[in-house]
Amino acid sequence: MSEQLTGGKHFGLATRLFLLCAVLLFILAVAILLGLGAGSSGIDLREAWGALLGQGEAVEQTIVRQIRLPRVILAGSVGATLALGGLVFQALLRNPLAEPYILGVSGGAAVGAICGMFLGLTPFPGVSLAAFGGSMLVLVLIILLAGGQAGFRKDSLLLGGVMMNAFCGAVIMFLLAVSHSAQVQQVLFWLMGDLSMITAERLPTLLLILPCFGIILALARPMNLLLLGGESASVLGVNVRLISLLLLATTSFMVSIVVSLSGLVGFVGLVIPHIFRLILGSDHRLLIPACILGGASYLIACDLLARLLSVGGELPVGIITALIGAPLFVFLLWRSGR
Amino acid sequence: MNAVQVKGLGLKLGGRQVLTDLSLSVASGEFCVVIGPNGSGKTTLLRLLAALLVPESGKIELFGQPLGRYSRRQLARVLALVPQQAPTDFPFSVRETVLMGRSPHLGLMAFERATDLALAAEAMAFTDVSHLADRRLDQLSGGERQRVIIARAICQQPRLILLDEPTAALDPAHQIKILDLLERLRQERGVTVIMVSHDLNLAALYGDRLLLLCEGRADRVGTPVEVLERARLERVYGCTMVVEEDRRNGFLRVSPVPARYRKD
Amino acid sequence: MTLSSQMIQRSPIFFCLLTIFWVVPCVGVTLGLQTHQVTDPLGRSLIVPVAPVRVVSLAPSLTELVYSLGREEMLVGATLYSTYPVAARDLPRVGSYVRLDLERIIALRPDLCLAVKDGNPHHVIERIEALGIPVFVVDPISIDEIMTTVVALGKLLGALPEAKALAADMTARIDRVWTLVARADHRPTLFFQVDAAPMISAGDNTFTGRLIRMAGGENLAAGPTQYPRYTWEDILRLAPEVVVITSMAGGHQPEDLIGEWQKWPQIPAVRSGRIHVVKADFFNRPTERLVQGLEVLAALIHPELFPDFSDHHLILGATRP
Repeated sequence: MSEQLTGGKHFGLATRLFLLCAVLLFILAVAILLGLGAGSSGIDLREAWGALLGQGEAVEQTIVRQIRLPRVILAGSVGATLALGGLVFQALLRNPLAEPYILGVSGGAAVGAICGMFLGLTPFPGVSLAAFGGSMLVLVLIILLAGGQAGFRKDSLLLGGVMMNAFCGAVIMFLLAVSHSAQVQQVLFWLMGDLSMITAERLPTLLLILPCFGIILALARPMNLLLLGGESASVLGVNVRLISLLLLATTSFMVSIVVSLSGLVGFVGLVIPHIFRLILGSDHRLLIPACILGGASYLIACDLLARLLSVGGELPVGIITALIGAPLFVFLLWRSGR
Repeated sequence: MNAVQVKGLGLKLGGRQVLTDLSLSVASGEFCVVIGPNGSGKTTLLRLLAALLVPESGKIELFGQPLGRYSRRQLARVLALVPQQAPTDFPFSVRETVLMGRSPHLGLMAFERATDLALAAEAMAFTDVSHLADRRLDQLSGGERQRVIIARAICQQPRLILLDEPTAALDPAHQIKILDLLERLRQERGVTVIMVSHDLNLAALYGDRLLLLCEGRADRVGTPVEVLERARLERVYGCTMVVEEDRRNGFLRVSPVPARYRKD
Repeated sequence: MTLSSQMIQRSPIFFCLLTIFWVVPCVGVTLGLQTHQVTDPLGRSLIVPVAPVRVVSLAPSLTELVYSLGREEMLVGATLYSTYPVAARDLPRVGSYVRLDLERIIALRPDLCLAVKDGNPHHVIERIEALGIPVFVVDPISIDEIMTTVVALGKLLGALPEAKALAADMTARIDRVWTLVARADHRPTLFFQVDAAPMISAGDNTFTGRLIRMAGGENLAAGPTQYPRYTWEDILRLAPEVVVITSMAGGHQPEDLIGEWQKWPQIPAVRSGRIHVVKADFFNRPTERLVQGLEVLAALIHPELFPDFSDHHLILGATRP
């Protein structure tokens, strides 16, 4: 379609952004409502809505407000963070296989969490802090390794991250081999992503991810330019070294926070950015809000499935995201190849 | 004030002295072509001018201000670089790519304004890629892609454009097209052009000032007639050359001589 | 005179009906809501109903005990593996005892939950209590503590006489085994296999370990580790005289489990055909069935002293010598 360029595109982008946010917010609202209205003890949307507002039976109120609501908030936050993290790393490393765990966050967090569990720490704050500490330590190591002279060479970052993950993987295998069977189960659930441990008092920690969202949103246009490569982006006025470091640190920080609360939920950060790229194109000014809102809805829906399908005590949500995400990713690859 | 003033530039890369004691001045609005054999430091010079490399010795001044005093954004408003090859896997459309040239002029989270869109449209018209506006970059031919990148460079509204062998992969018609375009920029907007090229004939046709590099040193700076001397060229390039003047139009023609035509 | 007092004066029947349909239920409800303070075996002080009506059991062993005490009508929910007695399989499920489903527990509106310290996740128990539901936590470690747990549960559920009778019966049977075993001149070495691949046995600090000792055997896996691992090399050196394998060991058929051992004829137990497969539940749950397990184990170790237990239904498979 040949539209008048003057003014047409400007309204085009802003309008598209507005429409996008409106649609995704609606979907998110539906997802939240469904997430509150259904669970392992039954489905009743009307009762759930009433319970949320403080009416109806006490039991229903307890279930909706103190069990389901914190969980839905956590699922939304984790989904948004992981999807956004995947998007940022895919731009930063210019690699479509990048996902939020690729730079060692998952390995470090897992080792930290397992050590915390073995030491008998409580899930909050003990194991959480241990996981967070582990991932931050690995991040610092990677930055030191890849920092180098001429700015962050993406290959060094990638290599460092993959190496750290592999090393941590070996440590995790070792820890599992020497542990008792009861502990093994606890560890496995953490490794598969587990949203069931959240309580309302722990939710304020999630506020820390909001400034991270803000920073990344502000860097949307430079992120577009990063796709040109470091030198071309520099010539177009982007301080590549500073922006890369800022994106790396911010993303790793926010991913570490959600991992410390929910374990390693996989496939969200890999699949969601690709889906939106297929629909919206590559402009990060659209992709960033899309990944935040879309990622949140996606994980709330997956967690809902996990709760509904639970038989012998709940299904970890990571299984659902993997079962849906992997075939979806293959489908996307096939579509983009055409 | 000259557009570019370089004095005593020196740089070592990977243990090798790539540039030694290089001096050059390019006046505003001039078309300067940097020529020389492979490995003589031509691309390195461009990258130094674009502040992608830091010299070990010497000074660079752009429009009277030392290069070091420009911030990245300020520099991007003054200088545009057209690399040898446009990235092939760039997932943006032509219009989006050209609009990226407005980046140095936009705030952090700003969307492009109507003026930016108008400038992009103008740049695309100038390089004759308007009809490709919504196509993706990887769907274009080499020549079209090159014009898009030049359109992006124009969109930056630079006072100086650096180009690294822009015609290397193009057919003669497209070569002339691109260079005529640059010539227009120069005449209509007073943009200074510094171009690296292997093609001595194109250098002769378009350059006001030629810089002949040999092993990192400036062998000769001057007009095409001054620089494109047969003896000099044979020494620098190490092969037999023929230099003649076109009788009708007056421009110089340079050709290397194949073995079977050599008398000696 | 108001209308109602006129009515009451005029109609004694009305007054009776009023009492029956108004006062009695109120009193009844109040009685039902009556709570008192108890201390659970962990020393925690709880406010529990005097007569609980909706109890959720968070461990299979506790479900069994509630049935043993005859108080199963109080149960409204149990964990996944609460499979004994058979009636317990109809109880609504609340997840497994290591992965409790908080939402299902709350939805059942319990006025009391029963939990075990070893197994139930601590933070879920805390959340249940934070939502106002008392959780009675038991932690039977030794055989004696099983008796005290039974009595404590009996007191909690208003079944004290039954509990005391059950405890007395269990104690008597244990004493009988103990006395008989004391006559044996030899303590055979025994290897109790809990899991296959890797091979795991039970140490001193488990019910199984204690049973072995009380049944007159010498537990080869005795030591500080609760569930130590063994390779075939270790086992050949240990040379057990008797081998007992639980059916939980990797879900294999009894013949396969025995077959693994028969590859090593150097082991005394293999040579003399004293390899037995037993039902697991009778050896690791702190319930009345543990005493049955003890009796069977004693029979396997000292067959000459316990002739009437040799063909017990607990024994799933054995080698012929």
